[in-house]
Amino acid sequence: MAELLELNQAGALGVKAFTFDGDTPGDARQAIRLHGDIVVSNPDMLHQAILPHHTKWAQFFENLRYVVIDEVHTYRGVFGSHVANVIRRLKRVCAFYGVRPQFILCSATIGNPQEHAEALIEDAVTAITESGAPSGDKHVLLWNPPVVNPDLGLRASARSQTNRIARLAIKSGMKTLVFAQSRSMVEVLTKYLKDVFDHDPRKPARIRAYRGGYLPKERRAAEREMRAGTIDGIVSTSALELGVDIGSLDVVVLNGYPGSVAATWQRFGRAGRRQQSALGVLVASSDPLDQYLVRHPEFFQGAPPEHARIHPDQPLILLDHIRCAAFELPFVGDEMFGTEVATPWLDVLGEEGVLHREGDRWEWIADSYPAIAVSLRSVADGNFVVVDRTDGRQTIIAEVDYSAAAVTLYEGAIHMIQSTPYQVEKLDWEGRKAYVTRASVDYYTDAIDYTRLKVLDCFESSHAGCGHARHGEVHVVRRVPGYKKIRFYSHENIGYGPVNLPDQELHTTAVWWQLPQAVLEAAFEQRQQALDGFLGAANTLHIVATVAVMAEARDLQKSVGSGDGAWFVSADMRGRGQLRGSDGQPAALATDAPFTPTVYLYDAFPGGIGQSEPLFHRREDLVAQSITLIERCDCRAGCPACVGPVLAADEGAATTPKALALRVLALLVAL
Amino acid sequence: MRQLRAEAGQASAGKELRPQRQPILSVADIAPSGRAISPDLRRLLQRHAQVKRGTVALSSGDRDVPGIEIFPGLRYTETCVDWLTPPTIIDATFARMDPLHHDRLLHFDTETTGLAGGTGTRAFMIGAADWIDGRFRIRQLTITSMAAESAMLRAFAGWLSEDTVLVSYNGKCYDAPLLATRYRLARMPNPLLGLGHLDLLHPVRRHWKGQWENCRLATAERLLLGVVREDDLPGSEAPAAWLTYLRGGSAANLRRVAQHNAQDLKSLAGVLVHMAKMERCCRLP
Repeated sequence: MAELLELNQAGALGVKAFTFDGDTPGDARQAIRLHGDIVVSNPDMLHQAILPHHTKWAQFFENLRYVVIDEVHTYRGVFGSHVANVIRRLKRVCAFYGVRPQFILCSATIGNPQEHAEALIEDAVTAITESGAPSGDKHVLLWNPPVVNPDLGLRASARSQTNRIARLAIKSGMKTLVFAQSRSMVEVLTKYLKDVFDHDPRKPARIRAYRGGYLPKERRAAEREMRAGTIDGIVSTSALELGVDIGSLDVVVLNGYPGSVAATWQRFGRAGRRQQSALGVLVASSDPLDQYLVRHPEFFQGAPPEHARIHPDQPLILLDHIRCAAFELPFVGDEMFGTEVATPWLDVLGEEGVLHREGDRWEWIADSYPAIAVSLRSVADGNFVVVDRTDGRQTIIAEVDYSAAAVTLYEGAIHMIQSTPYQVEKLDWEGRKAYVTRASVDYYTDAIDYTRLKVLDCFESSHAGCGHARHGEVHVVRRVPGYKKIRFYSHENIGYGPVNLPDQELHTTAVWWQLPQAVLEAAFEQRQQALDGFLGAANTLHIVATVAVMAEARDLQKSVGSGDGAWFVSADMRGRGQLRGSDGQPAALATDAPFTPTVYLYDAFPGGIGQSEPLFHRREDLVAQSITLIERCDCRAGCPACVGPVLAADEGAATTPKALALRVLALLVAL
Repeated sequence: MRQLRAEAGQASAGKELRPQRQPILSVADIAPSGRAISPDLRRLLQRHAQVKRGTVALSSGDRDVPGIEIFPGLRYTETCVDWLTPPTIIDATFARMDPLHHDRLLHFDTETTGLAGGTGTRAFMIGAADWIDGRFRIRQLTITSMAAESAMLRAFAGWLSEDTVLVSYNGKCYDAPLLATRYRLARMPNPLLGLGHLDLLHPVRRHWKGQWENCRLATAERLLLGVVREDDLPGSEAPAAWLTYLRGGSAANLRRVAQHNAQDLKSLAGVLVHMAKMERCCRLP
């Protein structure tokens, strides 16, 4: 935006460019609708404010020539699937005003830019993959904090290392930007740096913090000072990632992996003035994903392997947007919405009573504003709100997806918000509320999650080593009977608590691997070992797959069970695979019963979100990468960064969980 | 789900990216209309949509909506009542407007399908009233089908001329923008654009805010005009009344909406005359 205004001023172009977002004051909005030549907004505003009020924007739409969508690599997974539907609605409204704007999309480097752009706008695009911008050398440093406790595999904290590197860079006279994962981490790191560089209050500040939650005025001031070059170090959340102009920098330090290689490059891209060399440093945290990536520097070389995936026809997302679209303009006849004929969905909305059918028209009839109830960042089934009751307050401090509520908001759970632990005191399942109070604890909780899958339909099947890999439709029943308390840093298991929640049922898509009984019996002396091996393999495949499809870890889930839903396996108190029957009770398998353990990776949303098919196509890659991950892991017997936490007793075992998982994976390697 | 889609004649779930590459029109051309949806998917959607019970088509013997049908699905009523005696020239200083001949005034009020706003809210009734030969003429348009909305908008536009001055209660913020949206959606010019508009809510607020419990029209008419409504249907129930009728149910509450709307129009004129006179009294000494 700043650049637009600058360009406009320099050329005396007289172009009126405005920002239309949540910070735009009410009295300015009408002027923007009537006089804006260029309006800079975001998907949420388009979804909740502009499209449902498109008649107020009639003049704007009638003259709309170009739609520029920046940072499309961030529109992936659930969010991307929503945004694709918002674009369908935008095109529908444009058609009403008789315009067909040209779309221009920009992306950070991803593996499938053209395919992804075409999936988003459902039209042919021409990809321009050469960059004409001058650039100097880029150096990338992956920094794994040194091991401070080899027995527990404990490393120095990413925070202390980030601080150290940033301090060194600023002292050497380099303009430095530090990205932190949470707002509170921004404050902590800012304080550390200010203690060094801003201890003299008479001098202008050299260090600045930048994050959401600051007033727009404050943020603009920070941007100005950065551009002017009076600031030497800035500490920020992802708020600075997207399109905010702060001039050029020498060094970017990431405190932890931001979740995708594309986002990493995006942030590193902040460094580099014209033709001067620049440095990007990724400081790995103890998170398994970070540990995985820091051991795979090849991920950061050449074209990154990540593909952005969306699934705009996910049934619940589709229903929500057909609902919003029907509010905006009536559906007529066999109108298409994206690639689907809308009629069956309209029927459902008719039954719900929000649409009224008259002849071949479906008209909105309810007294409601559907876009408000549709969040672009979840597959809605009613989000849970987290209410803080510390010191008699009643403050909503977070929202949690329905699908994640059972495993994060059970009574007794430690729910982390911006690295502050809160304990859930009461969960009102029907009312979709969790009441929490701030807690000072040295542990976090991990739900024990018994998941039972039944395969309903197999779409594709292929050999995978001695076994098979498949993908298809599954029925998932999930029960959370209790939770583990795990001490921070050491990841020791220090206790258990019970949970009393209804079963969650889910109809979704999955990819799974299976080995025949004869192969397993030849490879393992006991069935127990095979089960432990499958659990470890599941953990590793989950880590690798999450990276491969740029998924949020919670959007993709893992499970080990029989192929037919008769039994499933969960880690018991000793970290061993415990076989459980369909009722969730521990069970022993008769020696003559069929034994075909199966590892599943499934979409955590009703109807699936389209991750299983790309995973199936990369099945060989996933197994190979899992093996490398385990082999390269520094731990001896197994750790959360590879096959999952192991007990101290297993550390010295002759056959380690790592070895068992490797044995399972080796059998799945294509011959 | 894949099977369901196949049954529904749609692209299979696994191949969703490919048809998208084609221009959208050609997909529309070749895709058979999908009426089928698998029972599983349907249950999932229904649960998500919170379909509690199917909206059963109602059937009532009482389907009598007053007025004459001037277009299929559009009913029109006109009544003239003796109601106050307005001064010929209305002193509108209280509303920061020049004096007005009462001939130019058109009081109007819409009844709508809700308060949510946006493009999904519509007016199903437009009431308008003016002074004709010293009597108060109340005209109402009611649609009994969605398709008649354009006809209603056209009819209302015919009641406006360029020197009409609209009189409303909160119409500047509510009724007028809502109608502007409806005209836009019907692809008709907005006849309200550029007309004078005397919104009584604002002067009433300036005078009595803090003195009255609230500044709603019902409060103003009771305290200024002594109007007491009997058997009045609360405005909040108007959407349900129309929807019930639309789905084949009884018209009884829809008739009460019309009465409510007519009383609103009378009260509009009453409050206007009261404030105009009050202004003059205050200024005389």
